[in-house]
Amino acid sequence: MIHTVLADDEVLARQKLRQLLRNEPEIDVVGEGATAIETIELVRATKPQLLFLDIQMPGMDGLDVATELCSDTNVSPKPHIIFTTAHDQYALRAFEIHAMDYLLKPFTQERLSSAVERARKEITVNQHPAGNSAPGQSGSHYTTRIVFKSRGRIVFLPVSDIRWISAEENYVRICTQNETHLLRETMARLEEKLDPDMFLRVHRSSIVNLQHVKEVRTEADGEYAVVLVNGEKLTMSRGYRSRINGWLTHN
Amino acid sequence: MLPTIKGRTVPPFLHPVVFVGAFTLLGLLFALQEWVSLHSWNSHIIITFKLLTAAWCVHYFLLGAICWLLWWWLGAHIQKATPICMATRVLPLSLAVSVFEEMIWVAVFPQLPLGLPRMTYWHRLAFHLDSDLVDSLVLFWAVFFLLRGIGYYQLYREKEYAAVQLETQFANAQLRALRMQLNPHFLFNTMNSISSLMQIDIAAADKMLEQLSSLLRITLERGDVQLIPLSDEMEFVEMYLAMQDRRFAGRVRQEVNVEPDLYDALVPAMLLQPVIENAYTHGLSRLDRNGLIAIDVRRQNEMLAISVINSGLGLRPESPNGSGRRGVGLANIKDRLRLHYGNGQGFTIEELARGKVRVAITLPLQFSERPTRQLTGYGV
Repeated sequence: MIHTVLADDEVLARQKLRQLLRNEPEIDVVGEGATAIETIELVRATKPQLLFLDIQMPGMDGLDVATELCSDTNVSPKPHIIFTTAHDQYALRAFEIHAMDYLLKPFTQERLSSAVERARKEITVNQHPAGNSAPGQSGSHYTTRIVFKSRGRIVFLPVSDIRWISAEENYVRICTQNETHLLRETMARLEEKLDPDMFLRVHRSSIVNLQHVKEVRTEADGEYAVVLVNGEKLTMSRGYRSRINGWLTHN
Repeated sequence: MLPTIKGRTVPPFLHPVVFVGAFTLLGLLFALQEWVSLHSWNSHIIITFKLLTAAWCVHYFLLGAICWLLWWWLGAHIQKATPICMATRVLPLSLAVSVFEEMIWVAVFPQLPLGLPRMTYWHRLAFHLDSDLVDSLVLFWAVFFLLRGIGYYQLYREKEYAAVQLETQFANAQLRALRMQLNPHFLFNTMNSISSLMQIDIAAADKMLEQLSSLLRITLERGDVQLIPLSDEMEFVEMYLAMQDRRFAGRVRQEVNVEPDLYDALVPAMLLQPVIENAYTHGLSRLDRNGLIAIDVRRQNEMLAISVINSGLGLRPESPNGSGRRGVGLANIKDRLRLHYGNGQGFTIEELARGKVRVAITLPLQFSERPTRQLTGYGV
């Protein structure tokens, strides 16, 4: 069970969260705070693994609460924080203080479930440090997650969720399992941020996540294509073939 | 810095240095002319070039300075002067100015005129006035009418500018009103759908409320900006399509195709939502299955061409009570396109084969100068 604390100054907001969390079997709500001070004390007393934190609360805002808890030596291990707020302007700060996720109110069960699932994974990994962490993730300077705004939502996207990235002039399209996001960014800048052991540039206009690659196929016309686990196919430039073949045989 | 009169900027030649400088230069030209003529006629009067130049230049410098000061003090009165006012006030003024200038000049050059017996100040004044008064008066009146002409021209330009500004403001107000008309329309329609869904499917209503919040968040963030990058408009369109998709439970296939080099092209905000809403209300909602909506944006001879095709029942005449509604959203778009681009745009709605309807919009291809700020961060 994941011990969880909720903090929101509004009764109805807490009630909604509590109700939705009842549908999440692994979540065990151990306390609810209505103010910043109350929340800090509650976290010190109950040492939860997960904290749902509203940002605008009387006295101290949620970001200050998070900073306070991070520097508090009595709180260990640190709870994973999921912010819940009606405002999107704190997203970057929340991202920088390593928040787990950022839910914009009103959110649905679906959205909450994805945040909880991500927290659950993270908590499990931390409990078994020798476990299956992604290659190159520990101690490297490569990006492991990206924050951006897409379709009126704030997305904290772990790069492992990316299947492939394609260039569209001044933009890049990031494709995940269910969605695509258009970002104003260049391929070159993204390529240098991403771990080369995990992401491979297979074409001038595409980067693929190697974890989702099934095979490299020679097409009828002599061109090469990268086939993903889900059946999607990406065209591949000749020059990159040896690199990906090497990776495929190695694994 | 240029001097200004009652907030009006002054043309460069009325800058004091330029204005008085031009007068002095005129004096210098007269001095040269006299020098040449004195030498060619082998006159008995001996005058140094230095003195001659000084006399002429100071004379015209004084006239220039006084005219400029008068213009600076009187300013707008120069245009307002009626013929009577000119006869009763400006004429005496011109005489007074000419005499006053001559008095200063005579005091500065006591050695002139040369070659005559010594005279008193008043004698010399009378002597010089006799030869210079008409010249000074002519110059004074020439300047007076020149300034009057400039004043009229400036007034004309100001009126023209004000008219253009008024027109722009009016167009902007109209655009704002048209743009604002769309939000509540769309908002209340969606809220009505949510209210209806709430009775039968709480989860679906909840999802739709979330989608509406996202749409509203984006709309509020944009404020009343008129032209936005196509990427922003398409983001909104995709969200709107996702919401409609949920409502129509997969009965409608959605195809969106945008040429990537057009993402930074500018389009009027909320251009497509009313077209898509229209496609659903009047076309796609009449179909049980296999509906199609296809949105296509491409470059066409330096124009941006947007086409929205939907399947349905074609452009049949509506039932009498529903006939007016089709127009509102589309008329709004037509008006906005006309206000933004004048005749440089196109809007057509036509029926294709098999009950398909196509709305085609063309507008001039313009790109935003600055890319939109986007919140993006990378971290570990």
